Amino acid sequence: MDQIELRLRGLMLAGLAGEAGPYRSLLDELSGLLRAYYGRRCPPGVDTEDLVQETLIAVHTRRATYEAGQPFTAWAYAIARYKMIDHLRRARLHLRAPEEAAEALFVDPGADAAMASRDLDRVMADLPARTRDLIRDTRIEGLSTREAAQKHDMSESAVKVAVHRGLKALGARFGGSRGD
Amino acid sequence: METDALIRNLSDRPEPVAPGAVARRVVLGLGFGAAVAVALMLAWLGPRRDLMPAMATSMFWMKFAYTALTGLLLAAALIRLSRPAARVGPITVAIAAPLAVLVAMACMRLAQAPPEARRLLLMGDSASVCPWRIVIIGLPVLAGAVWAVRGLAPTRLALAGAVAGGCAGAIGAAIYGFHCNETAAPFVAIWYTLGMAAVAALGGLAGSRVLRWS
Repeated sequence: MDQIELRLRGLMLAGLAGEAGPYRSLLDELSGLLRAYYGRRCPPGVDTEDLVQETLIAVHTRRATYEAGQPFTAWAYAIARYKMIDHLRRARLHLRAPEEAAEALFVDPGADAAMASRDLDRVMADLPARTRDLIRDTRIEGLSTREAAQKHDMSESAVKVAVHRGLKALGARFGGSRGD
Repeated sequence: METDALIRNLSDRPEPVAPGAVARRVVLGLGFGAAVAVALMLAWLGPRRDLMPAMATSMFWMKFAYTALTGLLLAAALIRLSRPAARVGPITVAIAAPLAVLVAMACMRLAQAPPEARRLLLMGDSASVCPWRIVIIGLPVLAGAVWAVRGLAPTRLALAGAVAGGCAGAIGAAIYGFHCNETAAPFVAIWYTLGMAAVAALGGLAGSRVLRWS
């Protein structure tokens, strides 16, 4: 534990200073630890990989809350635990089916296929406007993350996270599997 | 998107993080809220008419020291609670110190006063409105605190909410002190403290909802 603490803390401090290599090693190692932790702790049916990704995003976007003198393992554990509780709470809310009109059940079975052929704009229409623009800029127009960040006056971190979440939302809704 | 791709993406040229970002954000939120609260107090109640002569008295500054010091200590606790795995630590004891001093002063004052004067020392002229006004003036400060803290990473939400509320109430009380002309220590110890505690309770109750981040 002490050795893990020492190593991860060193990687984190380098990452906070802006060094990509150590920071990547940190997130890599953390993802393995998180996968094992959530695998042991979460009830069956929870998408642990999704939880791992959400936690990595939280570690990244809130890394300024890590204080150099504090144990890194305690900091990361607190975020992992918070994320698990948050995820389970959301999953519970998700179980409540929305109230709809009776037509929701009695649709033409062919309608799903027709829905699947919606064009890109229709598909993206459900995303927040900014996320839509960011996905279009980075994935279709070919802008780099930095260029997109400058264009929308956002941090690069925020662009990365928004694009990731947007693509995942699309994947969940229309792809069925997680696709990139 | 695969987790590996996400990691590659996030770790690609990470922006360096300046130390002290947490404290800066909390101070910014509280400061902005306090500015709104000052404007609210001036527009709604106005400063006390005898503000200049009052500022030459020690009791005016006693009242200010009690509220401002409590607010400062709670702000320090709030900065700690904005981090994951937070421990408030030794500040916990210090937070109660200004109140303890004030209560001691209030008891002495009451003990020395003739029995017929005690009611006035306790109730003043504005006991029925004082805590409510402190709550209302504290609300913009609480809003600023909530904005700041939910953008960080608190993991003990109810406690962080209560501390944010207490801090907002204390800052609100400090601001209200420039309108209120009550100067008796027993009055301040009861009614100012009650107003501050009410905002703390509000923050504690709302904390687990309004401070949730994801």
